[in-house]
Amino acid sequence: MAPKPKEKPKPSQSQASKPVIAVEDLFTTLNRHIQRSEYEQAVKVAEQVLSIVSNDEDAIRCKIVALIKADSIDEALSTIESSRRLPIDFSFFKAYCFYRQNKLNEALASLEGQEGSSAAMLLQSQILFRLGKLDASLDIYQKLQKSKIESLEINLIAGLLSAGRASEVQGVMEAL
Amino acid sequence: FPPAFQAIPRNPIVLDLAYNTIDFPSLENRMKKDKKGFISRLWR
Repeated sequence: MAPKPKEKPKPSQSQASKPVIAVEDLFTTLNRHIQRSEYEQAVKVAEQVLSIVSNDEDAIRCKIVALIKADSIDEALSTIESSRRLPIDFSFFKAYCFYRQNKLNEALASLEGQEGSSAAMLLQSQILFRLGKLDASLDIYQKLQKSKIESLEINLIAGLLSAGRASEVQGVMEAL
Repeated sequence: FPPAFQAIPRNPIVLDLAYNTIDFPSLENRMKKDKKGFISRLWR
């Protein structure tokens, strides 16, 4: 899709209200791309918002998430890196990107300080699994069992089998 | 020949559940305000 040509504000019109309208239009377009899973286009529209309002948190978040969903992990990381001066915490996204690049220790380091959230716990467990720290990985899944996370049992059972704890699988299945 | 099929153990599947937690922020308040009114007019 060709980017929407930006209208130059006419001198007679209010200079202040024009960008607001443009940004609202862009967010409407951005939302449509997200709904349709058109992530490359979503990145472009988020960038158009950022060309008007360079620090817009929603636009930066949308750009990073769209890049991740478009499998552009390197670009997602460089966007996170260039947003470092902003007071927005992107450490979970950063950790996830490092995980996708198999930079597991960097990923773990980025997760430090947010152990509370279930998203961070899931990612931490997946990183530990790849590092071969199976028991630590399983401990997290067992803590998360109460949170009713969809498909969690798949990873829990995979972990038990990999850790040579197949005898526990039956019990876990029955407890589900 | 051919040899009979044999079951072999495979590595268990591990899903990327963390990926499912990555989501876009809500843009509801950032879009055109009159959008709702417009749609409800269509459905009247």
